[in-house]
Amino acid sequence: MLSDLLQFSIDALTLGSLYALMALGLVIVYGILRLVNFAYGELIMVAGYTLYLLGGSPLPWLVMAVMAIVMAIFTGIATELVAFRPVRERSVTAVLITSFAFSTLLQNAALLFISPRSRQVPLPDLFSEVVQIGEIIVPVRNLVTIASTILLLALFALILRRTVLGMALRAAASQFRMARMVGVPANLIISTAFAISGLLAGVVSLLWFGRIGSVVPGIGLEPLLVAFIATVIGGMRSLPGAVIGGYVLAMIDTGFNYLLPQDLLAFRDAFTFSIVIFILLWRPQGLMAGPATGQRT
Amino acid sequence: MQKFFTGKMRSLLLATIFMGSWTAFAADEILIGGALSLTGVQAPLDEPGLKGAKVAVKAINDAGGLLGKPVKFINFDGKSDPVTVGNISVELIDKGAKLMVAPCDFDFGGPASREAQKAGIVGISTCASDPLYSAWSLGDKQFTLSMWNTTMGATAAEYAFKERGWKTAYVVTDQFIAYTKSLSKYFVAHFDAIGGKVLAEDKYTQGEQDFSAQLARLRKLDKQPDVIFISSYMPDLGTIIRSIREVGITSPIIGGDSYDDPGLWDALGKKFGSDIYFVTHTWLGQGASPKARDFVKLYKAMYKTEPDTSFVATGWDTIMLMAEAVKIAGTTDGAKVAKVLETNQFELLTGSLTYSDATAGHYPLKAAALVELSNGKPGFLGWRQPKNPPAP
Repeated sequence: MLSDLLQFSIDALTLGSLYALMALGLVIVYGILRLVNFAYGELIMVAGYTLYLLGGSPLPWLVMAVMAIVMAIFTGIATELVAFRPVRERSVTAVLITSFAFSTLLQNAALLFISPRSRQVPLPDLFSEVVQIGEIIVPVRNLVTIASTILLLALFALILRRTVLGMALRAAASQFRMARMVGVPANLIISTAFAISGLLAGVVSLLWFGRIGSVVPGIGLEPLLVAFIATVIGGMRSLPGAVIGGYVLAMIDTGFNYLLPQDLLAFRDAFTFSIVIFILLWRPQGLMAGPATGQRT
Repeated sequence: MQKFFTGKMRSLLLATIFMGSWTAFAADEILIGGALSLTGVQAPLDEPGLKGAKVAVKAINDAGGLLGKPVKFINFDGKSDPVTVGNISVELIDKGAKLMVAPCDFDFGGPASREAQKAGIVGISTCASDPLYSAWSLGDKQFTLSMWNTTMGATAAEYAFKERGWKTAYVVTDQFIAYTKSLSKYFVAHFDAIGGKVLAEDKYTQGEQDFSAQLARLRKLDKQPDVIFISSYMPDLGTIIRSIREVGITSPIIGGDSYDDPGLWDALGKKFGSDIYFVTHTWLGQGASPKARDFVKLYKAMYKTEPDTSFVATGWDTIMLMAEAVKIAGTTDGAKVAKVLETNQFELLTGSLTYSDATAGHYPLKAAALVELSNGKPGFLGWRQPKNPPAP
């Protein structure tokens, strides 16, 4: 029984860590722009294909990983420049469509220039090793996932609280127009938010592909959906909310995976979303309310 | 007045279309239409088929064409959307297509076959394997090149139970599409029928990338199964097998044609890619038949690379099957070609093939290729044909 509980906790924490990072990457942009970046999943895809393309090279894995993250950051900034900046101030609908369009463009580029079929992603040996904890066997990768998420979240919190950049980001998230008036450069802040979003997506991709081992053009859909649901649960505009939402969603998913009988398991998502609906009925703003806010930019 | 105009407009339009198609295709060419998807979820299965089909068309034309006429093959992207596939089919049939190549799945390929049936021409899906792809549901001129899942599931069951003596099985079924669900169903039915015992079944949802709960259940079984049957597809299939192997479960794993993917073999690598078996359409690697080697040579001449999956053979076979049937029938007339397909035996890259008549659903009686994965490298075990596969 105790080992069951331990197994469940580690499984839920691992998945939750991934979900939390995915959600955080989405909400950092949403918090400032009040716009969902629908090309977010493609940041993960781009990192995956970067790893694939570097796969044959003699570079150490860590270097490939850094390059994958850099590519995700670069793509994040490119998303802003291509899909958001030109239409941001004119219409929300336009941004919605341009971000979808950019997402489709990236996916089809992968389809055309690489292949619609799956491609292998190189992984370090560490990612396929296991450790024994009591009676259960845990992949080292899961422990790495949990540890690196905690580290990254701590670092992120520190930057937001203690640096000028962090304060500017928080100010922009709270009252964008006011922040501009007191001298926070709007474009720089928005680009930074997209870069951070890319950084988080890059790190997620390493851990996410660590489970899968291969990349396909449509790989970004699930992370985008997960991130979106997690932020809705946690509160669309709250950074801690997104993290909590990620862990809660993973807990619900894993819980149902463990507890539902076989006949109902096929309908797990229906159960998950019922819980999400209950959470929203109870707290329509999500679990954590965001900062008080003025108008969307 | 308005009526007069629309009427006139319509006849004008019709005349233009007729003239256009007449000048472009009639008499001097045989047009084969295709609605294979190059984008969307269906692309991984359709794109290789399309590549193979193009090689076949070139080979036919290089050898002097069909019934003395060159063959023209036009494929429009079906975009993994049943409605688009249907519309494209109508368009191509209007252009004069005499045969239709349908996408490799019942949901996506069905609309192409239905339009072909309406127009009275033969439609063949490159690799739809769900028994729904039958004359029963689509009409008496519609076929699928693939064996049905009844054969695929039964072949896996017979190999496991009869050849290897694996008496107990654990079955994982991906819930996303008809293919994955029916494959497990027929494996379980046949494994039971020949005397095996399914210890437990579990479900998985494509896209989730998390097999931890199922794994916990598998590890808690009183007795570990002799064999694990997994019906899923890429990329999640890689996640599932890796998760199982990672924690030290070494039971053999067996499955269907979705394993026939170098992307999967690479993802599993030396460490996890052993003791895995799958039933698929053909074998193009080391020790392939001379016919298959010739095909690979032609393929390489066209694309300058090796085929990245053996699904390319399904596209080649679909075109070659059509060509042979038309040759025997001496015409592209739908009813006559369908009759030839029902009454002849065809030797293809994907094995020898005969169809039952339309009342029996155009059941494809076909051998299955059995492949073993060892140290991440595939090896051919041979052709198999199961006895009394379960009824669809």
